[in-house]
Amino acid sequence: MATYDAVFSSLGLDDWCSEGKSDAPMSMAQLLSKAKGGEPAETSLWDLPFPSMDALNKACPAFPQSRELTKGLEEGFLAVKDSMSVVLDPITQPLSWALDGTLYAMLSAPWWIVIPLLLAVVFVVSKSWKLVGFVAASFVTLAFIDYYTYAMQTLAIIFVCAFLCVLLGVPIGIAMSRSDMMQRMTIPVLDMLQTLPPFVYLIPLIFLFSVTESKLYGIAIILYAIVPVIRLTNLGIRLVDKDVIEAADAFGMTPRQKLFKVQIPLALPNIMAGVNQTIMMSLAMVVIASLVSAPGLGVLVLRGIRNLELGVGLVSGLGIVILAVILDRVTKASLARINASQKH
Amino acid sequence: MDKDIKISIKNLYKIFGPTPDVGLEYVRRGMNKSDLLEKQNHVLGLRDINVDMRDGEITVIMGLSGSGKSTLIRHLNRLIEPTAGEIRFGDEDVMQYDETQLRKLRRERMSMVFQKFALLPHRTVLENAGMAMDVRGQKTEDYEAEARKWLARVGLEGNENQYPHQLSGGMQQRVGIARALVSNAPVMLMDEAFSALDPLIRSDMQDLLLELQEELKKTIVFITHDLDEALKLADHLVILKDGEVIQQGDPQDILLNPNDPYIIDFISDINRARVLRVRSIMTQPDRDDIEYAGDITEKDNLETVLSRSKGDTSLTFRVVRDGQQVGALTMKDLTRALVPTEASSERDNRAN
Repeated sequence: MATYDAVFSSLGLDDWCSEGKSDAPMSMAQLLSKAKGGEPAETSLWDLPFPSMDALNKACPAFPQSRELTKGLEEGFLAVKDSMSVVLDPITQPLSWALDGTLYAMLSAPWWIVIPLLLAVVFVVSKSWKLVGFVAASFVTLAFIDYYTYAMQTLAIIFVCAFLCVLLGVPIGIAMSRSDMMQRMTIPVLDMLQTLPPFVYLIPLIFLFSVTESKLYGIAIILYAIVPVIRLTNLGIRLVDKDVIEAADAFGMTPRQKLFKVQIPLALPNIMAGVNQTIMMSLAMVVIASLVSAPGLGVLVLRGIRNLELGVGLVSGLGIVILAVILDRVTKASLARINASQKH
Repeated sequence: MDKDIKISIKNLYKIFGPTPDVGLEYVRRGMNKSDLLEKQNHVLGLRDINVDMRDGEITVIMGLSGSGKSTLIRHLNRLIEPTAGEIRFGDEDVMQYDETQLRKLRRERMSMVFQKFALLPHRTVLENAGMAMDVRGQKTEDYEAEARKWLARVGLEGNENQYPHQLSGGMQQRVGIARALVSNAPVMLMDEAFSALDPLIRSDMQDLLLELQEELKKTIVFITHDLDEALKLADHLVILKDGEVIQQGDPQDILLNPNDPYIIDFISDINRARVLRVRSIMTQPDRDDIEYAGDITEKDNLETVLSRSKGDTSLTFRVVRDGQQVGALTMKDLTRALVPTEASSERDNRAN
């Protein structure tokens, strides 16, 4: 005799309940109570259970148990998975190519080409010899302790993913800034992407794509890291001085001219701040993504945890910190240059 | 004297709020601004505005903040859409323009100068000055000569490659004016263009504008809250209060015959001798044998005449234009014109 028997009988659902009696699998608690035998004593008000799915199931076996909810969700996902894959696979295939291609290019080119090339890029965006010196020292150190390959793998993944984040995120941010409706619809999605623990969306991705494909971690990183660039592009464009926008209108600019000649240039400091955040978040995610076969320093961190190799874990962790500092300083330096050129 | 009417505004209404048309009905039936806000939750922007702006003249629209003057000027190039009414540019109805025509109007026939300059911070002074040309699709090389010419004309020679933030406020507004001039539009809209500048620079800029106007004869619509500025610049003065035109006409006329206590309040504080000009108070001589103390021009202000008379109230001056006598001015008339309109007494009454 369960607590909520009376509810079902008063609703006249006795027949429906007894129909489902044999269907549901027995839970551990049911087995235990069966083993003990006999009806449990009358429950006092103090022990009244919350009318949860499981409690109601006790009173009426036809009522679904809560584990059937998660099971149903899983089955539903598996049912649509194949048709989703048909659509998603071809769309995301270029991501795999980009990741594999970049990884191949960065690793097969000799170190004496890759390092100077990276230093040249650092100089072009930052115009600071001091920073170039710091980056050179960092790379030399990493290479000296034989972490060069791992570091380059991590960097290659970040380059591809951050580039794609900007490529997709800036237009989405622009669309959000132009329509309040679009903004209202996008913000909950962004909030969700930002707060959902990254491990959680790795799970459906594993179902959708094969773990051997590099796009699996690519998508995970992009989903995680794209949020700041979208948000800050939207914010930057919305914050552009209303007077300047009015002047652009008064001189007869088309919406397109306004976007490219006024809004984007004036929003650039904010967009670049978003790019900086996006790069930093890709780096954070590339470590977690090593769980789903992303190569790079994250693999070493994972090895450190799994095999309790303290030294490997610490050194690779430090390597990630060094990469983070490099990426942050370089993007900040270019941001500072943009800011300096358009002070108000 | 009568010039062609360049821009004409007829029966213009603007009501801000969720359902302006409903508000419009109430306003047409005579509801006033505060009732409309209280009972209908709509803001009356402009009520039944009728203004004609003549070709080659400076029309000054004056009013305190909240009087709707900035709203009014934005109707001329339809940065703000009216709730009801007509805006005519020459023979054309601006309200009938589609997007392309409107853009053409803004690009080629109306330029605008803003209170807060509104320059593009990421472009050089030269590029800012050439903004109108750039919008029309020209390259920097195409408009550079023109932009340099006008920048030099407003006194910014040598600053072409600087950025706006490197310039002072007055210099930035010179760029704003150069930008409007480079567009070569016949109409210039100036929205409190000098209000953000300090008094000395403001006076310089007013002189610059008058000088340019002497040469270019553009149709200028100038918004200001400063009566001295309005009187200095205006060929035609429109005074707005709470979204309504309370008086418009020749500024000298308004000064001598104000028709509203609001205006009387306004003009009671100004230096009448400096603002009033000989032409508005001169008379036709009734005799031939008047002894003239000297020649003055009709454009002189009374202050100049006063200083020439050295305080002697018995003198009479001859008013000449291009060597021909056009009238006479007795010091008695001059003194009478300087008597302030009975503003002070009225204000005292109200205070009591």
